[in-house]
Amino acid sequence: MPSNGESKCYFMQLQIDGYLDGDLSEAQEGVFMSHVQDCLACSSEFRYAQTLQDAVMELPQIECEDFVLEPIHSLTAGGSQAKEGVHRDSLVTQIAGLLNFVPLYFRYGFSAALVAVVAVAISLNVVIPIEEPETLVASDSVEEFSPQDIALALQQLNVAIDYLNQVSQRTEVMIGDRFLVTPLQDSINASFQRASIREDVPLNDGPI
Amino acid sequence: MRALYLQAIDQHRHRILSFAHYSLRVRENAEDVTQEVFIKLWQHWQKIDHEKLGAWLMRVAHNSVIDHVRKQRPQQANLDHYAEVEDQVGKESDANQFDQQHFKSQLQNAIKSLEDPFRSIVIMRDIQGMSYEEIQGSLELSASQVKVYLHRARRKLRENSKLRQLFEEQIADKSEAKQPIALVANTDKGSGHAQ
Repeated sequence: MPSNGESKCYFMQLQIDGYLDGDLSEAQEGVFMSHVQDCLACSSEFRYAQTLQDAVMELPQIECEDFVLEPIHSLTAGGSQAKEGVHRDSLVTQIAGLLNFVPLYFRYGFSAALVAVVAVAISLNVVIPIEEPETLVASDSVEEFSPQDIALALQQLNVAIDYLNQVSQRTEVMIGDRFLVTPLQDSINASFQRASIREDVPLNDGPI
Repeated sequence: MRALYLQAIDQHRHRILSFAHYSLRVRENAEDVTQEVFIKLWQHWQKIDHEKLGAWLMRVAHNSVIDHVRKQRPQQANLDHYAEVEDQVGKESDANQFDQQHFKSQLQNAIKSLEDPFRSIVIMRDIQGMSYEEIQGSLELSASQVKVYLHRARRKLRENSKLRQLFEEQIADKSEAKQPIALVANTDKGSGHAQ
């Protein structure tokens, strides 16, 4: 069973942190200090607590040197490029959204023309043999074509476009014939047939 | 945005590294934690409440330290070895500085060995001088919890047997050291009188 003095010491030692933090009231502080001055055990404990507290507070802030953050700087520099990429994506999305408002036939015609251009370009590369690959690799400058080459290429391109237009028209005609003209013709023919059959059969009753 | 980010780094870098250093006691790990914290800051820059940036950074640092502590547990033997080497270096250093250096080294070990959140609260409050409000925000605790944990943490430090032993040795050394000085003084005086 702890004596009255021991329990008082225990209570006072619980207040050490409060005293060190300045959280005790004036009256509490007075009681605490008078006890610490009189009690050898509490005085020793208080001195130890104060020494420890001072030692903790004296521990220095650690300097963070620049080399620690070098990877961060390089990462953020890359990150800013990534952000620009995001903006590019959003721009592309916006353009795609605008394209939705362009008429369907124009979009298909445009993509057909694009395919034709690519096809012509590929065929030109296939037809014209590459004479010296080394010179192509060595020369970083843009290739120059003669006016004749350009004229020929344009001519071929026009031919290709004409051909694609014809194909497109035929396709439209075929689709129209298949789904519009032919059913209409069939329907009209059927009506005529029914009308002719009715003309052959005499009416027994009146029109009503 | 990048300028603001770099400004935030400059403002908080020392505090984050210090917190990690006193929590982990291994410089390389503390630097890793610091890097992780600022990478997360970059990744979450748009979502953060910038008025509470300091608390957010300390919270991320705290979580990152906990992760590192978990990873380090199997390597505890290495850390103990690190502490022993540090003690040895302390013993070999200047005799006058030995006591204080050794005591501070033991103190840092004692802080590191505290459980969380006691460790974090002692570092934040007593080493880094953060306010109670900042600690509340960083650790998501109430004001009363922070105070209670802080007092418990200090009591746990005081209960550390190595620290207490060193303190008592220092006290004993000082009282012994005073005695010979007085004796020498008396002897000198005495010898002076004799001559």
